[in-house]
Amino acid sequence: MRAVVKDGIGVFYPQGFLDGNNAPSFLTVEDIHATEQLKVDMLLVSLKKVIFFNLNGIDVFVKLLLRIRTKNHISVGICDYNQKKFDAILTYYKGNISFSLFKTQKIAELFSTSYKNQDKTVLLYSEDPSQRSALAIELYDRGHNPIIAQTKEDFEAKSVNPDAYYDIIDNTMLGLMGQKIATRVTGNAIIYTVSGFLDAEIGNTFNIAYHANSLNVGFRLFIFDAYKVLSMNIHAVNFLSKLCSSAAEYNATICFVGMTFEKTPTAFKEDLEDSGMMFFDNMDDILQDKELLQELGGSSAASTKHKRSLTKIVVQELPDFIEATVSTIGMMTNATAVKKSAEIQKLFIDDMQTKMASSIGFYGDIDGMIILIFQKEVAKKSCALLIGEETDDVNQILDALAEFVNIIGGRAKTLLSEKRISIDITLPRTYDNVANLLEVVDSKKGVQVDMSFNNASFTFFLTR
Amino acid sequence: MVTTEDIKDYIKKIPPPPDILYKTVACVNSGDLVKAAKIAEQDLALKSYLKNLVNKPIYGFRNEVNEISQIFGILGVNAAKQSLYNYMLSLLSPKKWVLFKMNQVLFYDLQADLSRKWHDILVHLKIDDKDIESAITLLPSSIIVCEALFKDHIENVRLLKATKDLDYNTILKRLAQLDLFDICKHIAKTWDLPDTIGNIVLAASGVKEESDPKINLLGKWMHLLLFYELSQPNFVEAGLNNFIEFNVEYVSDIYEDFMQLMNMEVGL
Repeated sequence: MRAVVKDGIGVFYPQGFLDGNNAPSFLTVEDIHATEQLKVDMLLVSLKKVIFFNLNGIDVFVKLLLRIRTKNHISVGICDYNQKKFDAILTYYKGNISFSLFKTQKIAELFSTSYKNQDKTVLLYSEDPSQRSALAIELYDRGHNPIIAQTKEDFEAKSVNPDAYYDIIDNTMLGLMGQKIATRVTGNAIIYTVSGFLDAEIGNTFNIAYHANSLNVGFRLFIFDAYKVLSMNIHAVNFLSKLCSSAAEYNATICFVGMTFEKTPTAFKEDLEDSGMMFFDNMDDILQDKELLQELGGSSAASTKHKRSLTKIVVQELPDFIEATVSTIGMMTNATAVKKSAEIQKLFIDDMQTKMASSIGFYGDIDGMIILIFQKEVAKKSCALLIGEETDDVNQILDALAEFVNIIGGRAKTLLSEKRISIDITLPRTYDNVANLLEVVDSKKGVQVDMSFNNASFTFFLTR
Repeated sequence: MVTTEDIKDYIKKIPPPPDILYKTVACVNSGDLVKAAKIAEQDLALKSYLKNLVNKPIYGFRNEVNEISQIFGILGVNAAKQSLYNYMLSLLSPKKWVLFKMNQVLFYDLQADLSRKWHDILVHLKIDDKDIESAITLLPSSIIVCEALFKDHIENVRLLKATKDLDYNTILKRLAQLDLFDICKHIAKTWDLPDTIGNIVLAASGVKEESDPKINLLGKWMHLLLFYELSQPNFVEAGLNNFIEFNVEYVSDIYEDFMQLMNMEVGL
């Protein structure tokens, strides 16, 4: 069994009965190896479709989760359970739970790093005060707004109006969280929350793949929320300096906010400033200052100074990217997509209000970004296999578009690997408003291919 | 991927059962097991299949049973008919499995396990009906159909499943507006199986509730039995555990009864 990966979360969905006899059969050696290689922030086992489990059965999955957490420093847990299953897990592990328990996958997603899951108001309750605090802190660090119920009565009273919250969190426990630095997105800025003493360990806890993803999909402002940082050593300074240098290629800005430097040599601060790091006392000094925000690249996702141009080698591989797109359309709709025209040009989109888009970056031996632009109705048609029922819910369609472009990215990766070109793909990003996409692409040139299937047209754009 | 045309082609190619089998079933239906055995003896493949089936440990016979007349005599009318339908279905199974890591022996084991446990369920529910007893034989056809339709699309399915938790039944329904169990019903029709059989198996898909409460109840038991079997290590390793979606809510009201019948602790 392989984990389904979406938005940086891998989830196993076993079905039926789970006991010591059959559980090892769910996870072959190849499955375990594939799981270790996953680039995810969180790994979960969903019990949604499990009707029976016992300790020996669930423990096979728990052992895998713990192994992956040790190896990859990510958060791991079990999700999608009812009260009975929750009680059973607590009984089986008798207060010795080092993995997390999330009542639903939707709740688990609040604790992950995703571009779409931001600023959610949630009602939170746990009988255990330390769990209550831990949950609230983690939610807050990820940019959410937890409303904490202090007592069961308080919780029940506040739960009366569920529409007031994005979700209601109970029967949820945090085990050892992954050591990855908490990340949130505010507008077009990415905020990393760091605390304590920063040393060489930052190289392991900082999610470099996520950072690269964010650069590739167009984020240009990165802020370290460092209010809770006591000090840092030279190893952390070196790491952050390198981060600044690599960000410069994308014309991205990295800021440090709230650090006092009372216990840190000021020479370190100067070194970091020389590398391009900017320091601020308060977060609002950046986020509330529109002019400064624009200057730093946080008001739009555009790269204004240095433009990364399309390279010959990326253009040479265009047929593989087109093939990946055509075959994915074929798989999803049973229709044949045909190329109508192809030009090297700046991205041109007419009739923007009626369109939506998704993009995915790739990096490795070659790097760049694939962008797909659809009429909303065509997007629905293209993703019918993923969406299922008829829907006009924009979020659902965007979600499916993200999955769609993710499949194209995965297929392109396979096709290129046959030519020994190794790439990794980023998390997909979607745009309900195509104007935001144009900010990311700015006036960069790329290959624009207009395509059609079943009398519906869409645009494919490959750029860097 | 899989198109409506592919499904039509598949349905068109379903072979009619051999004449001998038809005649044998007719005799069993009329209760003449002696005559049925005489006719069945003429088909060596059928004879071999029946011998193999009833001598599996799950049937619990101490000594090997060799003669068809013996087999039918021991099984009785209902189970004899059930085993003939099992043979009919085995004719559809592929020689070489590609999508699922199955083989002939494992498939026959699945048929035998399902049949015996379905029999126990019907005894528990106090239902004595040869059509209903035979209904279980059609259930594994969903696996055969799935193998046939998706075996040439393994890479596509892998890519799709890596991104979204979709089962084969849902993929097929969304692509071709017809699911595996609809096709099973076509098979039942092609083979002149009683309507009850097709209806129970359709309910056992867990996605279509039947209006007839009895059929619906049987569908629940069959759905849970299927996942009980598909949770066995051999079938998990074969990749069958998630070929269709398990509907936990659908079977929640019969779960405790089922667990008692299977001699398992209810646990959760």
